[in-house]
Amino acid sequence: MLKNYLKIAIKVLLRRKFFTLISLFGISFTLVVLMLVSALLDHAFGPLPPEVRTDRTLGIYTVRMLLTNNFERTGPAPYWFLDRYVRTLATPERVSLYSTQRSVAAYVAGEKHSLFLKRTDGEFWNILDFQFLEGGPFTAADEREANFVAVINQATAELFFKGQPAVGRTIAVDGQRFRVAGVVPNVPIFRVTSFADVWVPLSTAKSNGYLRESTGSFLALLLARHPGDLPKIKEELQTTLARVEFPDAREYSRVITAAETLFESVARGLFGSDRDARNYAGYLLGLLLGLAVLFMLLPAINLINLNVSRILERASEIGVRKAFGASSGTLVGQFVVENVLLTLIGGAIGFVASLFLLNALTGSGLIQYAHFQMNYRIFLYGLAAALFFGLFSGVYPAWKMSRLHPVDALRGQSL
Amino acid sequence: MIKHLFKLVWNRKRSNLLLMFEIFFSFIVLVAVMTLAAYYQDNYRRPLGFVYESVWNIGIDMNAATNDVWSAEMVSTTQQLFLALQDFPEIESACGALSTPYGLGARQSVNEFKGRRVEMEVNEVTDTFLQTLNLQLLAGRWFDQTDDASNWKPVVINQRLSRELFGHDDPIGRPFEPWSSPGEEVRVIGVISDFRRDGEFVGPGNYLFERKRLDDPRHRPPANLLIKVRPGTNVTFEERLAARLQAVAREWSFEIRPLTRMREVAMKLRLVPVILLGLIAAFLMIMVGLGLVGVLWQNVTQRTKEIGLRRAKGATAAAIHQQILGETLVLTSLGVVLGLILVVQFPLLDLISSVSVTVYARGVLLALLVLYGLTLAASLYPSWLATKVRPAQALHYE
Repeated sequence: MLKNYLKIAIKVLLRRKFFTLISLFGISFTLVVLMLVSALLDHAFGPLPPEVRTDRTLGIYTVRMLLTNNFERTGPAPYWFLDRYVRTLATPERVSLYSTQRSVAAYVAGEKHSLFLKRTDGEFWNILDFQFLEGGPFTAADEREANFVAVINQATAELFFKGQPAVGRTIAVDGQRFRVAGVVPNVPIFRVTSFADVWVPLSTAKSNGYLRESTGSFLALLLARHPGDLPKIKEELQTTLARVEFPDAREYSRVITAAETLFESVARGLFGSDRDARNYAGYLLGLLLGLAVLFMLLPAINLINLNVSRILERASEIGVRKAFGASSGTLVGQFVVENVLLTLIGGAIGFVASLFLLNALTGSGLIQYAHFQMNYRIFLYGLAAALFFGLFSGVYPAWKMSRLHPVDALRGQSL
Repeated sequence: MIKHLFKLVWNRKRSNLLLMFEIFFSFIVLVAVMTLAAYYQDNYRRPLGFVYESVWNIGIDMNAATNDVWSAEMVSTTQQLFLALQDFPEIESACGALSTPYGLGARQSVNEFKGRRVEMEVNEVTDTFLQTLNLQLLAGRWFDQTDDASNWKPVVINQRLSRELFGHDDPIGRPFEPWSSPGEEVRVIGVISDFRRDGEFVGPGNYLFERKRLDDPRHRPPANLLIKVRPGTNVTFEERLAARLQAVAREWSFEIRPLTRMREVAMKLRLVPVILLGLIAAFLMIMVGLGLVGVLWQNVTQRTKEIGLRRAKGATAAAIHQQILGETLVLTSLGVVLGLILVVQFPLLDLISSVSVTVYARGVLLALLVLYGLTLAASLYPSWLATKVRPAQALHYE
C-alpha cells in the first residue's frame, strides 16, 4: 500500500516540475536555516571537548550584587566571593576558579598579534578534559608559588614556534614572560568556560589588586562526584549565600547567583529579572522552540497553498477513488504520506546543503577556532523539524480533499 | 477597472488573507531594515569632526580594586607615563582622555536647562587633545595654561549643544548652568564643530569637554592616552613603546591600538544588527515570493474557465497578463496599506526620536520599491501560464 502511495507521490511531483522545485526550495531553505542555528547552539552549549563531563559539571557564570542604594551590579564574580564561599563548598569533588579571557598583545618577529589570555588555578585542568598535544598542565603548586608557566593552544604554538616543539620555551605576552608547560588543541571562541589562546596561573597577575576587587572578572567551575549530586550542590550554594559577609557592608547588601549550566545561566540572564536564582532553562527552551515554529509558519502556509492547488488538479482522481469506496481516512493518509515524502526529500537536500555550509563556515575562519561538525543531535533536530513541517502542512489540505463530494469531483468541480 | 480587480481579489479572500498577512509582516521588517540603512547612510556623510588616521590609543588598566577611587601614586605614575611619551621622536603629540574615539564606555550626562532636558556626552581631556585629534575650533579658544589660575571651570562644547542652549547667541564666556555639582561656576570658553566619538554610523549628539590636568591629584588619572605618530611609524615602535610603558608602571596593563583598527571593530559592531535584520528580511521576502507564486498558480489553474471565456470574447494575451499583474498589485497594496497605517504611527507618536522624518520616509520608500519589485517578479511566471490558456480547451471543460 505504502509502495503505491510513494509511486503515485513521485508521479505527481514530476508532473509539475517547476512547482515541485519551488516547494522543495522552500522546505530545504527553511531546514538549512534551522539546522545552522541548531549547529551554532550545539557548538556553544552542547558537550564538546574539553568540556565533556557535562553531566557532572556546574558553573558560576554571573552574580548579581545588590547595593544598599538600590542599584545592582551584574557580571562575573569578584575573587573574594568565590574564594571564600564557593571554594569551600563541601559537596563538589573539585572547584576551580578562573578569570574571563582578556585580549592581550604579543609581539612576534616584528608583528603584533592579539591573543586571549585566561588566568586559572590548577584544578581547572583536572575538571576539564584537555587532550594535551605536548607537555601537560600547570599545577596547584605552580599557582601557589606564582610560577610563570603557561598552557597555550595549537594556533599560539604555531605563531611563536612555527612547528618546533614548544614545551620548555618562553613566550612573551602582555609584557610578561612565561615558560610553556603544555600545548592543547584550539578551543572555539563560543566556549565561555574553556576558550583562550594562553592559560596562565591566577597568581601571575601583574598586581594582586584582584584579591580585593569588589567587582570582579572571575568564574567558578564545580565538578560533582556523580550526576546525582548536582541538585545537592545547587542547594548547598543557596544556603551558603544566606551567610555571605561583605568586606564593605555599607555598599553591598546581598548577592544572588546559582550553580548552573551555561544554558541555565543564559536563561536566567534573559528571564530572571526578579531577585531569585530559579532555573529558567525551560523558558529559554520554550522560547527557542516557539521561535522555530514561528519561523516555519510562513513556509508552511506557502506549502499549504501549493498543496491545495495540487489537489485541485487531481480532483477527478480523488472522485474515482471515492466513488469506488475509499474512506476519507485513507485519502488523508495517502496525502499526508505524499507530503511527508516531499518534506523528507527537501530535508535531505537541506541536510546536504547544511553540511556544505558548516564546512564552509569552519573553513572561512569567521568564528575563531570554530570547528562545526554534523553530529547525531543536529541530525535529529533536522529530522524532527522536517517531519513536523510535513505533517503541519499536509493535514489541512488532506482534510479539505477528503471532504470533496465524489459526484462533484468526478465532474471536475472546484472546491 | 480597479474596482473590478478589488472584486476579484475579494472573491478569493481566504487564500489571499494569508498572503496579505505575509506581505504586511515582511513590509514591517523591510521598513526597519531600510530605515536603519538610510539612517546609517545619512550619518555616514556628515563630518566626523576629528582625524583618526595615525592616531593610536593606549588603554590603561590600573588593575586597581575599584575604579571610583584613585591614589596620589596613580596620578604621579600617569604623569611619568606621559613624560616617557615625550622621549619618543616618533610621537608628534600626546594627550590624555577619559573616553577615546571608537572606544566603549563614556560618561553621559542629563542636565535640566531652563526647564528643558539636555542630554550630552562628557569627556575629560588634557590641553593637547585638540591638536592630537585635529578638532576644528569654531569660536573662542581651547583649554590652555591660563586656565590653571581661574577659579571657575572652563568647558568646550560642540556646535550642536551651543545651538540647543544658546540659540544663535554667542556662547563664549556664558555661564553653563545648572551644573551637575552645585556651587561650581562653569563657563563656556570655546565651540568646536563636532566630535562624533562613536564614529560615522552614529547620529549627531551633544558634546562637552572638561579640562583634565595630569599634575593635579584631585583629577582622576585618564583611562586613555592618545598619541599622534609620524607617518611611517610601524609595529616595532609599538613594541618598544609597550616595553617602555610597562617599565614605568609594572603593575598596570596597557593595550595599544591604532584608531584605524578600533574603527574597523566599531564599524563591524554597528553593522551586525543591520546584517541580521537584513537576513531575516531576505528570508521573509523569499517566502513571500514563493507564496505568491503558489497562490497565483492556484488562481490560474482554478480559473481556467474564466480566463478561457475572456479569451473567447476577444481578450488578448496582454490583457490577461495585465489582469493577473493587476490583481497581484491590489493584493500587495492591501498588505502595504495595513503596514503603512502602523508604520506612520512611529513618527506621529514621536517614538523614534533619533531618526529624522526625511530619513524615515526614505527608508519606507525603499521598502515599498523592494516589495513591489518582488511581487511583480513573482507574478511573471503564473501570469505567463495564464496567457497560455486556450479558449477552446478551457470552454471544453464542462
